[in-house]
Amino acid sequence: MIRLLKCELIKMRRRYVFLSLLAVTAAGLVFSLYGDYSGPGSGFTIKNGWLLFLYQLPLVNGIFFPIAAAVTASRLADAEHKGSAFKQLFAAEKRGRIYDAKLITGLVTMLLSVLIYWVVILVFGIAVGFEGEPPMGLYLRYLACIAAPTAVIYFFQHGLSMLFKNQAASFFAGVIGTFAGVFSMFLPQFPALRNSLPWGLYGAMQFIGLFGWTQETRYEFAYFEMMHTEPAAYAAAAVYAAVFYALGKYMFCRKEI
Amino acid sequence: MLFKLLKAERMKLRRSPVWTAFILMPIVPAVLGTVNYLGNSEILTSEWYSLWTQHTLFTCYFFLPIMIGIYCSYIMRLEQNNRNWNKTLTMPSPKWMVFTSKLIITAFMILISEIWIGALFIISGRLIGMGGALPLRETAVWCLFGTLGGTVMAAAQLVISMLVKSFALPVGLAFAGGISGLVFLVKDLGHIWPYSLMAYGMNSNSPQQMMESGYVPFIIICIVYIALFTAAGGIILSKKEM
Repeated sequence: MIRLLKCELIKMRRRYVFLSLLAVTAAGLVFSLYGDYSGPGSGFTIKNGWLLFLYQLPLVNGIFFPIAAAVTASRLADAEHKGSAFKQLFAAEKRGRIYDAKLITGLVTMLLSVLIYWVVILVFGIAVGFEGEPPMGLYLRYLACIAAPTAVIYFFQHGLSMLFKNQAASFFAGVIGTFAGVFSMFLPQFPALRNSLPWGLYGAMQFIGLFGWTQETRYEFAYFEMMHTEPAAYAAAAVYAAVFYALGKYMFCRKEI
Repeated sequence: MLFKLLKAERMKLRRSPVWTAFILMPIVPAVLGTVNYLGNSEILTSEWYSLWTQHTLFTCYFFLPIMIGIYCSYIMRLEQNNRNWNKTLTMPSPKWMVFTSKLIITAFMILISEIWIGALFIISGRLIGMGGALPLRETAVWCLFGTLGGTVMAAAQLVISMLVKSFALPVGLAFAGGISGLVFLVKDLGHIWPYSLMAYGMNSNSPQQMMESGYVPFIIICIVYIALFTAAGGIILSKKEM
């Protein structure tokens, strides 16, 4: 497996896979961090910045990381589809191991970008001067809550990208799923929708809520509080990951090249 | 000649399931946007206008740009595979026309998508019992201008997909373009940036915005951009080793 992973790293060279991923992450960071941090209306943000991020960012993560996963999975699989290289690879190595090696490479790259995103968010909060120490316990939980759905979605995208030579198919599936996931976060009255969509898991695992906000008083009496998250969301993530992995690998191993 | 090229493009896309995504995608915001509108009807008080923003807000900034990016990548991929550019470019037709035919095919797909978005908007509005006169004229204008703005984006994406011989990278750039479009709109520069013209044309952020500023400047800017990108596409096809 180590030999296969080395091969994958060599194939990634000059394909700018990590760079494309960093570009999407950077765009996500710009989108996440854009705001007023020093103006007269920034008092609430500075006072509650750490919790505000934990409340706001899952939505942004639900847009950017699924797209990043689709791009990464496609870039890695496309290298083989484009050169019709699968036939040669299958003559040298078992199909399942090729599937796994590519999956590990892409997944590690994705999780690395999640980690970079998380670190930048923390550093930004400190640099801007959010009140108090960063609540590391909550932020570590947040890291797990973005890494888990990202991994689940990567399993899905990887399977599609490896199966279909036409990368448009995996992209369209990813985009439509992301769209549904983002909308599910705007519908808190339907928790089942978020729990049942892999792309909605970012919202389902969100554990900080905003309370006391009204149109009239706005942020005057607003406060953040821990929310109850459905255990079903974590179970759904585990089930989805197992199903996507097993199904993707099974179909890939039986695919006619 | 252009009609022959268009016919050839249509034949290349025959039996390709790519068009289904343009039909399926708008159903998601139509259903969930309507449910969201019903859940927040005390805040969203502008009736049909509010429903329109719910249907189109995320569509214009994130998802339609990506769909256009994927479609353009796919169209260019057909030529990049198996050295098909060699065959296409040896046809006795001007290079800019080859580019234009691809752009027209993409614009047609955007138009279909926009009509479908408009139809879903009217249907869902009626289904939830929205009162008042149907905003048929406004919807038609938003969809047509959305198509025009989307065509500008498609022209830019076709040039990018032609230059970058990768499927995913131009899609990523389309995504980044959609976000940049949002930034330009926030800064009140939505009418000059190619990637914000679709959202600006569809009036997804503030439905009355363009009606107040007038349609003519928008149309002129779109035409200028389309001409520029088409010229760039034609020049690249003529000069660059494909």
